[in-house]
Amino acid sequence: MLALIQKNQVLITSFLSVLVSLYLLIVASTGQLRRDPVGPLVLELMRPFAALVQGALNTTRGLTAQYRELTGALAENQRLKARILELEAERQRLYEAQATARRLQGLLELREQIPDKTVAANVIAGSASTWFQSLTLDKGADDGIEKGMAVVAAAGVLGQIVAVSARTAKVLLVTDSHSAVDVVCQRSRARGIVSGSLEGPIVKYVKRSEDLKPGDRLITSGLDGVFPKGMLVGHVEKVQKKGQGLFQQVTVTLAVDPRKVEEALIVIPGGRPS
Amino acid sequence: MAKVKLTLLFVFFGFLALLLQLTFFHVLPLGPVVPDLTLILCVYLGLYRPTVGSVLGSFLLGYSVDVFSSPVLGLNTFAMSVVFLVVYLSSRRIWIHNELWSAVLVFAAGWVKGVALILALGVFASGVDGWHSAFRYIFLEALCAAILAPAVFFFLRRSQSHLEPARTAV
Repeated sequence: MLALIQKNQVLITSFLSVLVSLYLLIVASTGQLRRDPVGPLVLELMRPFAALVQGALNTTRGLTAQYRELTGALAENQRLKARILELEAERQRLYEAQATARRLQGLLELREQIPDKTVAANVIAGSASTWFQSLTLDKGADDGIEKGMAVVAAAGVLGQIVAVSARTAKVLLVTDSHSAVDVVCQRSRARGIVSGSLEGPIVKYVKRSEDLKPGDRLITSGLDGVFPKGMLVGHVEKVQKKGQGLFQQVTVTLAVDPRKVEEALIVIPGGRPS
Repeated sequence: MAKVKLTLLFVFFGFLALLLQLTFFHVLPLGPVVPDLTLILCVYLGLYRPTVGSVLGSFLLGYSVDVFSSPVLGLNTFAMSVVFLVVYLSSRRIWIHNELWSAVLVFAAGWVKGVALILALGVFASGVDGWHSAFRYIFLEALCAAILAPAVFFFLRRSQSHLEPARTAV
């Protein structure tokens, strides 16, 4: 018997692995998993490396853009080229500083509009999977961040915190099909739920009788208890009334492109304004 | 000692794969598709290093992806465990001599993972809306992984044979 087990130990362990992962899924999906003991460790372990690589990538992006600008100046003589390089480097630095200042100014203005306390955080990693849209921020439980808090960028709503470790937080983006943001159309006050889908962001549960037009601004209703009221989520892109269904098919252009976000604000509900 | 070195190699590669998926691959103009290096590693382990440690490794790879990306813990863990099991069962009949064939196998494994994910999403989460898009995603993700597979297999096989000189001499 023992010999049989030993001979098939990989097969048995593989089956066990599938069963354990299924158990994990059941426990997690039914909300019985209150604390994940390993996840925060993984997050903390990856944090410095992810932040380092992300920082290097941001710098490289700037340098690449600078290089592209410079390729046209190759015919210039050596002295001028050197001078241009110098100036371009300086200009790039200033552009970057200006862009950062603009982004931070936007965040600051947004921070003043939000009645709750907010914590600014940097994006240190994207999603490791094609199927799920998430971000990792460099602020966590040590900074007062908790699961369920809203995350916003200067241009609008970004997502919701779904997991935290001591110094990191995982954000489920609005573009993920598991997210849901209660919205209202600023013009007609039609209500719906903005969610991600594999075909792009959509508004769910908008009745056929509701008045929605391409270009309409969609703002948070505040009724989901997560996002502060009145924050821009996006604009209506296309409205279709297919078949005899109860609802309209509405696609949305989000106000925030999560792939371009570098800083965000985490809203601490009920906290005093900072 | 060689065993420890080999384990460290796979741990390091797993760590690097996850780091690249979290950061660098988002710079590439691939839209929402993130090339799945962890899948390639899982297939490699199932084929060339079918041990209890590799089972655990595949489980942890899926778990790590879950920690960073999944709304429900266990989705990728399940998918990756299924991939390892399927590759291990197939490895009794398949022997890849050519790195290019690894692309075909990884492409197939990409479909196994995608289908396992869709099933798990359907049962344990809010499901998948739009089958057409779902299959397009599976195809693109499997294709990306398949394109990268020969290079990754080559690197891992070279490293493995370097660390296991006695075994390769046989």
